[in-house]
Amino acid sequence: MFGKACFIRAFEGALARAYDAGEVPGLVHLCTGAEVAEVALADALDPAVDQVTGSHRSHGLVLAMGADPLAVAKEILGRIGGLSDGLAGTQHLIAPENGFLTSNGIVGAQVPLAAGAALTAKVKGAGGVGVAVFGDGAANQGAVLESMNLAVALELPVLFVMENNGFGQSTASTYASGSTSFTQRAASFGLVAMQADGFNHIESQQVFAQAVKKARKNTPVFVEISVPRLDGHYYGDDISYMPEAHMKDTYDDPLHVMRQFLEESGTSASVLESIMLKQQARAVQVVAEASSAIKTGPLEIKAWHQSLEAVRG
Amino acid sequence: MVSCQTTISEAINQALHVEMAADDKVICIGEDIAGGAGVDGSEGIGGVFGVTMGLAQKFGRARVIDTPISETSFVGMAIGASMTGLKPVVEIMFCDFIGVCFDQILNQAAKVRFLSNGRINMPLVIRTTMGAGDGSGAMHSASLHGLLASVPGLTVACPSNAADAAGLLRAGLRSPDPMILLEHKGLYGKSSDAVDEWPVAVIGEGRFVSRGDDITIVAVGAMVRVAEAAAKKLALEGINVEIIDPRTINPLDLKIIISSVEKTGRLIVVDEGPNYIGFADGVISAVTQSCFDVLNAAPRSICPLSTPVPYAAMAEAAWLPSLDQIIEAANTMMSENYGK
Ligand SMILES: Cc1ncc(C[n+]2csc(CCOP(=O)(O)OP(=O)(O)O)c2C)c(N)n1
Ligand SMILES: [Mg+2]
Repeated sequence: MFGKACFIRAFEGALARAYDAGEVPGLVHLCTGAEVAEVALADALDPAVDQVTGSHRSHGLVLAMGADPLAVAKEILGRIGGLSDGLAGTQHLIAPENGFLTSNGIVGAQVPLAAGAALTAKVKGAGGVGVAVFGDGAANQGAVLESMNLAVALELPVLFVMENNGFGQSTASTYASGSTSFTQRAASFGLVAMQADGFNHIESQQVFAQAVKKARKNTPVFVEISVPRLDGHYYGDDISYMPEAHMKDTYDDPLHVMRQFLEESGTSASVLESIMLKQQARAVQVVAEASSAIKTGPLEIKAWHQSLEAVRG
Repeated sequence: MVSCQTTISEAINQALHVEMAADDKVICIGEDIAGGAGVDGSEGIGGVFGVTMGLAQKFGRARVIDTPISETSFVGMAIGASMTGLKPVVEIMFCDFIGVCFDQILNQAAKVRFLSNGRINMPLVIRTTMGAGDGSGAMHSASLHGLLASVPGLTVACPSNAADAAGLLRAGLRSPDPMILLEHKGLYGKSSDAVDEWPVAVIGEGRFVSRGDDITIVAVGAMVRVAEAAAKKLALEGINVEIIDPRTINPLDLKIIISSVEKTGRLIVVDEGPNYIGFADGVISAVTQSCFDVLNAAPRSICPLSTPVPYAAMAEAAWLPSLDQIIEAANTMMSENYGK
């Protein structure tokens, strides 16, 4: 788990460098700070039967679910061989073969889709769950609130995971959501509502395992997990609107906390260091390979267009 | 009259300052338009594109309202506030997000004046961004002006320069119908002539961007610049292009377009909206129905491929209407002479 989280952290770092070098078509929303939480969630799921939907900030989730990192990197860099051949991009990562149904450019839109995945799982009776991962900002979208009610009303095997990083873009969640706690809100819909500390990997693992177990039995569950947003809203964001306490250098980093914990519980520092370095090297290599891949261009979009025309006749 | 240059983004910002200073009923609503809400002492960000910069400082957060990410309710709230006496300017960050709150626009904003038999007016401007070209992908790059213009009851404006953007915004706040102002992301930073006080525009009045006898090109928003670049090249080949920027596409200034086509006999519509049943089809249909007999060539639309906007830069560039496509179409059309 530590290795996977290290890989995601390094992958995002390598992407940031690629962005600086002009290799990324648009802006990227990095998941830094949420890696441990997302790996803990993925570890509780079975990509063979479960489907996860995520937000605009889903690089970590799709990797945690086991998608091919090279295909993910190529997609984010707009290259041929990306998950969708570079036509979809950073906010629209799609890897259902790995249990990651889709990420989304529309805040909250992924949530009803997870209810749909849950419905399919229920109808098929294969024991799968639909998992919607979204932010504290998205929690105020009608589509999200409606889905929570729908899931309870229809007894769907669905898990709602709200990553609370305190902000939706520049707006504090304490402002946008009034004073009500998110778990209380979810509980009032009739959901089983739980909280997890995203700085504590063991607690995160336990809560997700429990939540998934319940959801598999058609009891919809809501989990609020606290995570920091270490690189602003998007990479390069001027985060002067954030208070000191949320700045990168003052904030605890769940990955460091986990590393410290592992060290204190007996894993040697040099072993941990070598895991981290190995994952870093791997991530840098993957992003470098993606950067040197052929850029998606006119041929790819024209081919797609022609295939549509052919279907239309 | 000051002869200096201003960006579209600054012009809209200035128009908002003018309107808010002149009328307490004008309020701004949207996500992150002040920014930093809930953070003690935050200076905010003034909108994700900086268009609403300084408004919260000047007029206070009671009139420059940051909202939760809840488009249905805050757009609906702006509509309801307009029905009851305020003059809201509400921002939807990207026009793609209109999908989230479309009922409020399609069934509420657009129909209130009709259903009240004119008893309720709706001075309301829904500001939103449109357009591709910055690698934002399929859900942050759409051009939905054609779709919106097909809804009776909505005024739809697509300014291509600073004066029109500011003037149309001001006109929208004086109009009894709700206006959707589509600001092209790619134009925000582009400069054009500044005008003192940003006079209120006339809704439904187009303008000539350039004059010529050979071909009429109709374009709005960012496509006006593409048309201008094409016209320059075509002029070198001796083809004189008349470019018309209708500024609002609903209502549409058909008069100015028809007067031009009657002279040139040739019409190209360059547009960033979809090729099929979009703005271009609408203009071509109207012209064909009004003055079929003056056409010397079949009208052409130059629009993006009918797919969602692709992400990768070169694919996105190939997707957008291009200068070369306009030049090729113009040359082909000059060799057609149906009318003569
Ligand atoms: C419907 C819609 N409204 C607004 C946006 C612009 N936007 C993108 S991300 C974001 C903030 C989301 O906050 P949150 O849900 O907390 O996720 P986080 O970015 O913190 O991970 C906003 C306002 C959008 N993409 N879609
Ligand atoms: Mg958030």
